[in-house]
Amino acid sequence: MINDDLALRDLSEVADAIAAGRITSVQATEACLERIAVWQPRTNAFLRLNKEKALEQARAMDKELAAGQRRGPLHGVPMAHKDMYYRADEISTGGSAIRHNWVAPVTSTVLQKLDAAGVVELGFLNMAEFAAGPTGHNVHHGHCRNPWDDKRVTGGSSSGSGASVAARMVYGALGSDTGGSIRLPASACGVVGMKATYGRVSRAGAVARSWTLDHVGPLTRTVRDNARMLSIVAGHDPDDSTTSEKPVPDYEALLDGGVRGLKIGFALPDALVPVDPQIGAAVQAAADALGNLGAVIAPATMPDFTALYRAAEVIVKCEAAAMHRPWMEADAPYANQVRTRMEAGFFIPATQYIDALRLRAHFVREFLARAMDGVDAVILPAIPFPVPTIEETDVEASGGPATLSMVARFTGLTRPFNTLGLPALSVPCGFDGNGAPIGLQLIGRPFDEGLLYRIGHAYQGATDHHRKVPT
Amino acid sequence: MDDKTRLAAGIAKQLQGLTYDDKRLAEIAAEVEVLNEAVRKAANQRLTFDDDPAAFASVLAKEAK
Repeated sequence: MINDDLALRDLSEVADAIAAGRITSVQATEACLERIAVWQPRTNAFLRLNKEKALEQARAMDKELAAGQRRGPLHGVPMAHKDMYYRADEISTGGSAIRHNWVAPVTSTVLQKLDAAGVVELGFLNMAEFAAGPTGHNVHHGHCRNPWDDKRVTGGSSSGSGASVAARMVYGALGSDTGGSIRLPASACGVVGMKATYGRVSRAGAVARSWTLDHVGPLTRTVRDNARMLSIVAGHDPDDSTTSEKPVPDYEALLDGGVRGLKIGFALPDALVPVDPQIGAAVQAAADALGNLGAVIAPATMPDFTALYRAAEVIVKCEAAAMHRPWMEADAPYANQVRTRMEAGFFIPATQYIDALRLRAHFVREFLARAMDGVDAVILPAIPFPVPTIEETDVEASGGPATLSMVARFTGLTRPFNTLGLPALSVPCGFDGNGAPIGLQLIGRPFDEGLLYRIGHAYQGATDHHRKVPT
Repeated sequence: MDDKTRLAAGIAKQLQGLTYDDKRLAEIAAEVEVLNEAVRKAANQRLTFDDDPAAFASVLAKEAK
């Protein structure tokens, strides 16, 4: 019972308690392991659990702290990550059968940064095969199941990251986002997920889905936790030439400014599908709550999301087809839905791919000039409909037109922001009629993650959606 | 087999060294048509000779808060 209480605490609270000597890293790790023993059979969130190694790391962290050495603000905190972040000499499956025994030759930059900050690694988490899929289905390793209702999807592709954080098995987890893969599981599982500006976090040593659309980022229980984690993993990396040299702020130090005087655009845009009334009402209520806190809420004019969506599809299909070609030619064991989503990439003319890349600068300028004209941030839903069941979105088992259409619509409100590369934060804002979480998205100007965290933190100070725990 | 599917068959076999059945080729041709048209339409409205793919990162940096 005491350990369960410990597992239910937030990342930043546990990190600070370890630093102050009120608890040990071993106690926090044991608390997580007890939660995992209960929740793993219900969620299938973990692909590999390294229990003994994690306890060994925790003991080492406690020993360092006792000797007066604190590595950083995450010293001794147990986490686990999507199984696409390489750790040298360890298996890294990418959620696939193809790489089920593949051993990584290097350690990803983000894991190196978390190591340096003192994080204890519990293991690696379930994900969509090669990060391709918005639901959390995985025919090779078993579907990941939503802790709020095990018949429902977690969202994907960072399915295990969303489920493990929501079920309080870990205090934080890394995900990745090419079309919504951090924000969708954050929304469907009721946790916080940040897709930072393109170039803010290094992709080096992470399985790519699309080099030009992939974003690495954290999933956590609170905005504060997320801010702390992003401050650690963000920053320039010589091993990823697309990372920005812009200095990384201490995001946690920027949380307490409140929203009074901020102008926030609000939209319920149709993107492949109209927003469900339940979802619209929850996001409207969130906008009202921010208004009550002193923000000025104004209608936002959204661009043609279809153009942004299609440009992203062209880019991801071409890049994925190129990187997967050798395995596809060898008829390697992909799930059908993963293989078929890449095949068009072999047929799209190179000129269209290049034009899609050239369009991105125009799309960003237009979005900033219109949707964000005179506003500090924009609020809209993350997923436009209630969280569906695993069965009704199982493309592999029943790939009919209705199923395919529903799966495609999952990313209607998230994928456009991968094209734009803008920061996007998903925050829990309620529950649907089935008891599954609803998430809102906050969109900001380039590298304005600090402001999104400030708004999200103010919202979480006035609401308790993020305090509810699946039972 | 319509013209677009026939073209897809040619690309698959002659240019990419890949083999698909006719049904799948028709699906791919339809998918590619939608994607191509969307990008072509957006490009016709916006792109000029001087547009560089690398401008995307520059815009993010210049517009940074």
